[in-house]
Amino acid sequence: MQTLKRNILAVPIVVWIGLLVGVPLLFVFVLSFLSRDSLGNIVVQFTLENYQRVFDPIYLRVFLNSLLLALLTGILTLVVGYPVAYITSNLEPKKRALSIGLIMLPFWISSLLRTYGWMILLGNAGIINNVLRALGVIDAPLSMMYKFSTTLIGTAYMLVPFMIVAIFNSVDKLDRSLLEASYDLGANKRQTFFNITLPLTIPGIAGGFTLVFIPALGLFYVSDLLGGGNTIFLGNLINTQVTRGRNRPLAAAFSMAMIVVAILVISLYGRVAKDDREGLFQ
Amino acid sequence: MKNRRFSLVIGILVIALLAVVVVRYVNRGEEAPGEVNLMTWGGDFIPRAIIEEFEKETGIKVNYKEVTSNEDMQSLLEASPDQYDLAVTTDYMVDILRQSDMLAVLDKSKIPNYANINPVYHGAYYDPNDQYSIPYAISISFLLVNPEGVESLGARPITSYGDMWQEELVNNIVLIDWSVEIMGLVLKSLGYEYNETDPVKVAEAREKLFALKPNIKRFETNTPEDSLVNGEAVIGFMYSNQAVKGQQARPNLQPVFPTEGMPIYIDSWVMSKQAPNKDGAYKFLDFIMRPEIAARIADMTKFTSPNKAAEAHLPADFKNNPMLNLADEVVENTSFYIGVDRVLDEYEHIYSEFKLR
Repeated sequence: MQTLKRNILAVPIVVWIGLLVGVPLLFVFVLSFLSRDSLGNIVVQFTLENYQRVFDPIYLRVFLNSLLLALLTGILTLVVGYPVAYITSNLEPKKRALSIGLIMLPFWISSLLRTYGWMILLGNAGIINNVLRALGVIDAPLSMMYKFSTTLIGTAYMLVPFMIVAIFNSVDKLDRSLLEASYDLGANKRQTFFNITLPLTIPGIAGGFTLVFIPALGLFYVSDLLGGGNTIFLGNLINTQVTRGRNRPLAAAFSMAMIVVAILVISLYGRVAKDDREGLFQ
Repeated sequence: MKNRRFSLVIGILVIALLAVVVVRYVNRGEEAPGEVNLMTWGGDFIPRAIIEEFEKETGIKVNYKEVTSNEDMQSLLEASPDQYDLAVTTDYMVDILRQSDMLAVLDKSKIPNYANINPVYHGAYYDPNDQYSIPYAISISFLLVNPEGVESLGARPITSYGDMWQEELVNNIVLIDWSVEIMGLVLKSLGYEYNETDPVKVAEAREKLFALKPNIKRFETNTPEDSLVNGEAVIGFMYSNQAVKGQQARPNLQPVFPTEGMPIYIDSWVMSKQAPNKDGAYKFLDFIMRPEIAARIADMTKFTSPNKAAEAHLPADFKNNPMLNLADEVVENTSFYIGVDRVLDEYEHIYSEFKLR
């Protein structure tokens, strides 16, 4: 009873999450063991066939393809995001608020629209090609669309704010006296960064990586639009099976496999950040 | 401690689930009289202007639920069969809903204008006795081609699917992104039928499909015509309404009806077995099947109308457009995708492998 009283304020959120995350997740889990009939209707009959199909060599390659995209997205957002986060946290308070505001601003616009924005920018008749042609730099349009790299850029663009904010928090918390001590002991800026700042912000990097990696596994419309559907990711596979494929149990099995990967990544993060009292999930 | 917290969470979950059930039960049969609930594709698939005219004439309010897939319609109809009166859904889904016993048998005596439907569209596979559905919009898939573009690449003119495998066309084709459709195209190019199950023929199609990969610029289901309009591709396999839009934007684009044959899709009206306002629904169906109304719908949506009597009311540019006013020999060369469920797993698997190449 004591516990209940103390945690009473947490009840709404527990109900909310239980209802909108817990229950559907349970449905997906159960669904992944069910069969379907020839009309695509779900039949309550236990089967492991869906999971067998997940381990089909072709579908495993789709998994690897998604993991590769997520990994590269993590690296790209880290390379782009770290300097932004580092510089932002060293700004004076007013400018810093402005900078954070600008980083979050794109979230005010639908991500689908922003993806279309990239198409307008990169297309054969897009802004970049038109400008380069008008300047006489190129004769024929550069082909920048419908490649793996286009998908990567689009996905990284979509997720980079998460990386920046996670690292920003980490750099911001940094005990400045440690940096002063480092300078006092004769280290230059570079040495201080690599020996003090970087190691101390690893939990932030790991947190940002987790926040970027997991959604990158599932974003399917970016590869449909920017990648021109020329390759296939886990999100595409699940999307097709839920809709036109009419095989929701198989889609559920793929989703469970994806959740397992996500849990692995989160537990890996837990290890890296276990000493960080104010990490993502504390 | 831990145990108690766990049981607290479980308790809350159970209460939440019960709440959902209760809310759904209470909400049942709240349908106000004088309203018709229909669901179908978004956009202006059933033009709002036409719906407003119906509302003004009859006083019946029409609620339009937009969905993005046939499967969404199926789920919604399964979840709340008493919330929807009408749906427009694609042929194969009519078949599924009919076999799942979700549909009402239509009382044709309440729809005098049903007589306007072209008999060519009677007795299709998805409703052999025309009991459950009324065709609304017809579309086919074919190739939209930029003839000058093909010529400048040094390729032969395009008349068939087979012509798409020419080496000169590298990176110049856009395709609808759907395994059944693309396997169907390849099977047709080999002289076989859609949804072939014979393993030897499927294996042959698989090899031929893989050989097409270098020529493909992009897979796009929603706006494939854009690639032809902006010049990044010279051939597109797409639905007729998309090809019409493409040609409007770039008049030198030409339709090519492949000699091997084409797929046809018929979006049809169906009525939920538990429709709350069947009388209103019949009135609406009869209204939209009036010849002049059907002609205006066809012109607004750019879909071929199954309404024979509507032809006299169609504007000249619609009538003279071979992509909209389909010639008999074109329609005769079309076929439905029947028995998708028998081939889907295999085709999806091949298609995934194809995409990974």
